[in-house]
Amino acid sequence: MPPTDHHGSFLNRISIRRNQITNMDVNHEQELEELELFQKHVTDRFMQLLQQNQTQETTETRAQAQSQLLSISWFQKLLDTYLCCESEFKAVLIINRDASCFSKAPLDRLLPDHLDRTVKALDICNAITHGIELVRHWSRLAQIAVDALEQRPIVEGHVRRAKRALNTLLTSMMVDEKENSQLVGKSAERMWSIGRRGAAGPTTVNHNQKFMTRSFSTCVSKSWSASKQIQAMSTNLVAPRGGEPTGLALPVYIMSSILVFVMWTLVAAVPSPERAGLGAHFQLPRNLTWAHPVIGLQDKIGEEWKKKEKKGTAGLLVEIQVIEKVASSLVEFADGFEFPVGDEKADEVAGQVAELADICRKMEDGLGPLQLQVRELFHRMVRSRAEVLDVMDQVGKINTSVLY
Amino acid sequence: MGSPETDRITPLEQAEQIILRWDSSKPHMIFNSDNRHDIDNYLSAVDLIQQSTNGKIAENNGQSTKVNTLVQIAMARLEDEFRNILISHTTLEFDSVNLLTESDEDSVNSNGSRISRNICEFDVIPKDHINDLRLIAKRMMMSGYFRECVQVYGGVRKIKLDTIFKKLGVEKLSLDDVQRLDWESLNAKISKYIKAVKICVRILFASKKRLCVQIFENLGYEGDEDAGDVCFMETVKSAAISLFDFAEAISISSRSPEKLFKIVDLHDTFIDLLPDIEDVFCSKSSESIRVQASEISSRLAEAARGMLYEFENSVLREPSRVLVPGGTIHPLTRYVMNYITLISNYKQTLGELIVSKPVTDSRYSDDLTMPDMDFGDHEGQSPLALHLIWIIVILQFNLDGKSKHYKDNALAYLFFMNNVHYIVQKVKGSPELREMIGDSFLKELTAKITQASTRYQRATWVGVLYCLRDEGLHATGSFSSGVPRNALRERFKSFNAMFEEVHKMQTLWSIPDTQLREEIQISISEKVIPAYRSFLGRFRTHIENGKHPEYYIKYSVEDLETAVLDFFEGCAVSQLSRRRSL
Repeated sequence: MPPTDHHGSFLNRISIRRNQITNMDVNHEQELEELELFQKHVTDRFMQLLQQNQTQETTETRAQAQSQLLSISWFQKLLDTYLCCESEFKAVLIINRDASCFSKAPLDRLLPDHLDRTVKALDICNAITHGIELVRHWSRLAQIAVDALEQRPIVEGHVRRAKRALNTLLTSMMVDEKENSQLVGKSAERMWSIGRRGAAGPTTVNHNQKFMTRSFSTCVSKSWSASKQIQAMSTNLVAPRGGEPTGLALPVYIMSSILVFVMWTLVAAVPSPERAGLGAHFQLPRNLTWAHPVIGLQDKIGEEWKKKEKKGTAGLLVEIQVIEKVASSLVEFADGFEFPVGDEKADEVAGQVAELADICRKMEDGLGPLQLQVRELFHRMVRSRAEVLDVMDQVGKINTSVLY
Repeated sequence: MGSPETDRITPLEQAEQIILRWDSSKPHMIFNSDNRHDIDNYLSAVDLIQQSTNGKIAENNGQSTKVNTLVQIAMARLEDEFRNILISHTTLEFDSVNLLTESDEDSVNSNGSRISRNICEFDVIPKDHINDLRLIAKRMMMSGYFRECVQVYGGVRKIKLDTIFKKLGVEKLSLDDVQRLDWESLNAKISKYIKAVKICVRILFASKKRLCVQIFENLGYEGDEDAGDVCFMETVKSAAISLFDFAEAISISSRSPEKLFKIVDLHDTFIDLLPDIEDVFCSKSSESIRVQASEISSRLAEAARGMLYEFENSVLREPSRVLVPGGTIHPLTRYVMNYITLISNYKQTLGELIVSKPVTDSRYSDDLTMPDMDFGDHEGQSPLALHLIWIIVILQFNLDGKSKHYKDNALAYLFFMNNVHYIVQKVKGSPELREMIGDSFLKELTAKITQASTRYQRATWVGVLYCLRDEGLHATGSFSSGVPRNALRERFKSFNAMFEEVHKMQTLWSIPDTQLREEIQISISEKVIPAYRSFLGRFRTHIENGKHPEYYIKYSVEDLETAVLDFFEGCAVSQLSRRRSL
């Protein structure tokens, strides 16, 4: 593939107009309009995300909920939304702008801050990618149990197999949480007792836990913490006061805020290293009109997090929650299993297995595309950051480049 | 063999007993014993049980239930055995990696040319044990327990990868961290990484792949994927992604020119590795890894381009106004020339990456002036060469601007001359650079040197030589009332003063290049000495006939000749000596 050189192409789109005073007013109005539209679009799009959840709740068909809040498909919509907003943001910021304003207050501080947040978000994207891999791993374990328990009649062999897989699954889900609050990386030698799951029969799996390293030790450094990262991203995130000359401080603030929101949501939903304290920080001020749907989502998700954090959870992703619930229940069933299973019990189990099967299918179908989307997000952020840096460099006179 | 009791039970019942004997609660491992007999027995038992499940599944009776349970017990046991073999026999790998770290560099780092398929593989697990693993895997797959098998395999092998990564120095830095590192540290890390990534792809991953193939070959498929591929991906996917993260972080880091060559090194590494990566990660499920690797290469290429442009910008805008004393070589000149010499050494890769001509029109500025450059007379030269020429052009432009800060015009010209001369010397000193720059441009540069030298000389010496001019000193009439003596005396005085002044100042000036210095000194001599000699010859008697001739004729021709040799020493020389060697 021949190398292509895009360096000039983007910058050619920028028109730096320093001398066109006559058209200033018209353009100024146009710019204001663009800003207004941007805000409105952000509000609208996030409203849709919020309402997804609300309509589903009223119809009581949760099992068939297309985009239940925090489900895989909802996340796909969330990331889509973010990418749309990002495109518009870039258009507002860069095209047809007098880029000299980038080197003056307040943008000279706000933009580098925003770009810094972007870099942190990139790290989170990487962690999320690994997190999704982990979830995939869980769904494969769940699939073993589904396959085993779908067989008829339900016999001990199948039940034991399912139990073994489910115990491995549940321990793995818990291992991450426990580990994250202790030294990461020593998991290989750790033996986990599964006493709280009931009697550990002879076929249950002390060996498995010993060597299960589902931690993130291979992926991130020991000191990296998702929640600290989010916290760092939300420092300096202050709503601009009105009356600022370029009018660009507001879209930058909006974009930064929704970036932090998206990252925060992802970290809460998908297993990530070190999430303690996630619920505590980052709240958008309530007086911002554009932010209402985002704040609504924040509230809901924040509440969920608080509830689940106490019990300990692998992540708020709906599919993970279902697995946690159903797997525990099935393990209980397995512990108390006696052949033959009564009809009522069989039906109950069949229902749960079907639910689990459904979730596995959703994960099989949805996690791959979600990972790709996260990757796309990564790329987009990298590209935008490079473009903005380029413009800033060109415009701000390089005073410090003493090369030698 | 066997007690009378065992003779009375069926083979199937015998098998049941064996399996029940070895349920998961037993801490010993079957496959650990040297007793092959035990192993064979167990495997046969498993086979028997498996066979007996065929056709019995539909039957809802106690027998089939029992068989199912036995299968599960056996599978659980085999899972543990499988894990145990893997754990006990994967120590070899790591030491071999150490050994290869040194020699690997030479074999994979061939300058410029691409080594295809330099994949080394080496045995990680002894053949016997691989065989055992195969035996186990086969049974697990036949009973539909492949997923469990994959989980165990992946679980164990991942740990090893982590340890090896650490030893290879693959650090887990976040993107954020990388952006904040200073260049020296980052440079070192990149060097280490380049070695490590080659080892990881060509040796580590390749041998892991090979092992998976050895164990799972021809054992079947999982969905539409080969069993070996599935296991392999289970083991390395996360690690591969993490491995590439560092390169990714580098590719998005800030574009400062000093990083250019390291980035190109890293880019070349990835380009070289791409065929190997395609080889090792050839399955459908590993597409994302291949894509990531190729994306990284592109991004590194873009980063390299960006850095070159950044460099050009910096050279143009380099703002320092600090005057180098004595008009000597400016650090900027040295830096730039070293930089582009290095670029010419990297011309193979950079030549491929840089495909567009330099941007020579002013993009942003009404107030920032830029040199004019028409590349019309440079048809047929590669874009990279054009960039190098452009860089020299803007370097000169910058130097010209800097020279104007000297209060003394003569010094400004000298400074310019020195620096352009340095540029020319550097170009001549590097065959690659010279070839790219081209001789016609070199001629242009040389002409500039001459021009600057002429300007310098004119600026300094016109005034001095003016003192030695003829007009106004013609003898009119008879001997005694001929040449106006006062005027003559004034002339000598001015000449002396001016020459002394020039001597005082310009000995402090510098022409670092010896040959150039001599040339200029000779050129000065050629102008000044004959003029002085002839002046002296014509008018000395008039002075000597008057009072205090020594006030006026202070220097002999030889004195001046010696004095000229003091010029451009770059340091103070003792005051002009005078000798009455007349």
